[in-house]
Amino acid sequence: MNSDANTGATQASALAGVRVVEYTEMASASFCARLLGDAGADVVKVEPPEGDRYRSHGPFPDPSTGSGQAPDPDWSGMFLYLNANKRGVGLDRQDSRQNATFSDLLAKADILVVGGQSDEIVRQGLRREVFEKFNPGLIVCAITPFGLSGPNSRYVGDDLTAVASGGLSFATPGVPDGVEDPAREPPLTANTPLAELMTGVLGAAGCVAALLARQFSGQGCEIDLSLQEGVAAVMPYELAHAAYHEPKKRELLGFALMPNVYMPCKDGYVVIMAVLEGHWRNLMEAAGNPDWAELEVFASARERARNWDALEPLLLEWTMSHTGEEIARLAQERGVPCFPAYAVGQMMESPHVTGRGFLQEFTSPGGRSFKLPGHPIRMSATPWRSFRAAPRLGQHTAEVLRDWLGWPEGER
Amino acid sequence: MNPSTSSGQAPLPLQGIRVADFGQVIAAPVTAQMLGWLGAEVILVETESRFTTRVWPPFADGEFGINRSGGFNLVNSNKLSCSLDLRSSDARELAREIIKVSDVLVENYATGVMENLGLGYDEVKKLRPDIIYMSLGAFGRSGAFKNLTGFHSVINLFSGLAAVTGYPGSHPRIMGGLIPDAFAGCYGVLAVLESLYHRSRTGEGQFVEVSMTEALTGMIPEAVMEYSLTGREQERTGNRDGRKAPHNVFRCLGDEKLVAISVETDAQFRALAQAAGRPGWADDARFATPAARLENQDALESLVQQWTAAQDVAEVVATLQAVGVPAAPVSDTAEVLADPHLTERGFVAHVEHPVAGARPVLSLPWTTDGRRVDDLRPAPTFGQHNQWVLKELLQVPDREYERLVASGAIG
Repeated sequence: MNSDANTGATQASALAGVRVVEYTEMASASFCARLLGDAGADVVKVEPPEGDRYRSHGPFPDPSTGSGQAPDPDWSGMFLYLNANKRGVGLDRQDSRQNATFSDLLAKADILVVGGQSDEIVRQGLRREVFEKFNPGLIVCAITPFGLSGPNSRYVGDDLTAVASGGLSFATPGVPDGVEDPAREPPLTANTPLAELMTGVLGAAGCVAALLARQFSGQGCEIDLSLQEGVAAVMPYELAHAAYHEPKKRELLGFALMPNVYMPCKDGYVVIMAVLEGHWRNLMEAAGNPDWAELEVFASARERARNWDALEPLLLEWTMSHTGEEIARLAQERGVPCFPAYAVGQMMESPHVTGRGFLQEFTSPGGRSFKLPGHPIRMSATPWRSFRAAPRLGQHTAEVLRDWLGWPEGER
Repeated sequence: MNPSTSSGQAPLPLQGIRVADFGQVIAAPVTAQMLGWLGAEVILVETESRFTTRVWPPFADGEFGINRSGGFNLVNSNKLSCSLDLRSSDARELAREIIKVSDVLVENYATGVMENLGLGYDEVKKLRPDIIYMSLGAFGRSGAFKNLTGFHSVINLFSGLAAVTGYPGSHPRIMGGLIPDAFAGCYGVLAVLESLYHRSRTGEGQFVEVSMTEALTGMIPEAVMEYSLTGREQERTGNRDGRKAPHNVFRCLGDEKLVAISVETDAQFRALAQAAGRPGWADDARFATPAARLENQDALESLVQQWTAAQDVAEVVATLQAVGVPAAPVSDTAEVLADPHLTERGFVAHVEHPVAGARPVLSLPWTTDGRRVDDLRPAPTFGQHNQWVLKELLQVPDREYERLVASGAIG
């Protein structure tokens, strides 16, 4: 198996030999490029002199060394996650000579991934039409909050506006929630950049689709992808309610079929889904076949939804007398979807996660070890590899200019 | 003629590619649907005894019918339906024939079901050595929990996503939208496309596994890192952010009408204060810097809330966007489908379904040179393409076809 000395990627990498330039202010585009790097593409991250914003994001493994000194920007956790499997090049596009170097890199690239506010993408000349003349095969993937076209294309936005305008906030909390007063639970997002990461996956898919199309046409293209659409794209089932009957309102117990419910148990919270009749029978068996299991008013998922007020206290009596783990074991043994709410640490230390080796280990310069999520795709012929850690600012500038442009070492 | 042939201009990325879709519920169906939008011919192999979304609400106008389900129709557009009762060995033989002429197989049955049907990867690669076989499981296909049944809520609770979702001081909440399914399905698309690219250069197929829980855990890198460093759980912060304030949803005029506002820089905050007609906010020492705004966000949010409460969502959004402040409506699903921006971009489209009528559907979530999907076609009715798939594609003789229908293998 030949290995590509520049990237560490081998021929058994799906995208070996594909050259990608990334230039972005958004996590989404960084994640998109990282996924291409995970598949073995030679990804060059071009950063301005001030460095990528996620270098200051954290979390940081080592405490800052001196008074008032910022933590080491090469070890920001979010930056490490978004930028693994890339080489780092520092270029100041305000400087015309360095901007020309940026264009020289693009002349050699297969893909340019950019992300930012639409007006900025346009103002900075990061459209395909700018590069098409000297590289007609270049694929440009532009990720923006609302897209490059349409009445709202000039709107500014971020993860929150995408989760809100894509319909996901309104739909959250997402399962009939037997715990608190629904009226007091406003729309919600997660404490993590959901929209950016989801859209990054779609961006990477768009890039590989464009590579496949280029095999027929020889031509590059421009991919226009918005965070808003990235969010809405992952909720077709929710949207189907509005398209087919009536939109679900924020009545958290308004589901037509029951039980599909998140409720307290002895030591926390548990979700139980037993809307299929077989699941319901098995759930009742798990609960020790109480007398009420056979009542006519609970005879179907629809009846159980209609009579939820009567069913809820009966189910609660069972869940509150068992731990979440016990309930899940009793139900899952009988094939009923059920699970307790895990803390992040519980998930990380579960035999499932440790056994599959999903988390990736790092050691900081200060000697502290920590973990980050690995790659959720496992491919038998072209397995994911951790080729290299995220680059320091400008770490590979000379190396990339030599490899891609044939420049003598040390010149830029 | 092949009913899925498109009349488009430029070649589509997956022209000439055939996908055998053994998808259930949402995840793998989403993968196959997107491959169809990219130009592949997708044959959905359906078994009545294993119906999921076809028999789940919502139904067109609330009336039950296996061809009336919105949940099915929004994740199966541009597919051909072949109804085979996989309990019958004749039907399984037909399924193998379909796989023989397919480039890609996608499936997300419970772990072990495909193997029990004789359609596991080891069997299938004997029929079609260069097949790309995508197997998507709630917990993946290996590991201690591989046999656990997991729908979206289970995945949310296990993956850690629910652990970082919720109101301050309260318990974990489950994200809406059934996102683990469709999001894992998007990873499936990426995996299949990468595999096809590899195959185009080497001729080699492969087995690809996607785990819904891992897809979701991949969305919480900070929480994973924090716990591994300090043993501390990341806080649930409602809609707040560690760097931006205000960063929340605020009530506006009307029932359940809210606006999302996110302010990062001092310039954006000054613009917000001006736009709200409260320029004094920008001079208030409590809000003078990002750090001060974070520190005093209770007070700040209540001021912003007082301002938005008396206004329409659209007005707040327009006012703030005009001065460069990130703001957007908290849209419900009907509002997403009715959003003129999404319709003009072609992401929300309308197709006529033979049974359900004209309905909104989602299209491919990106454009290529402004182009999305040339021929968006409605989801198939059950068994709609049996004749084409079995008689035309597989060349099953008429009498044999009749026998298989009579025996129940087909249908």
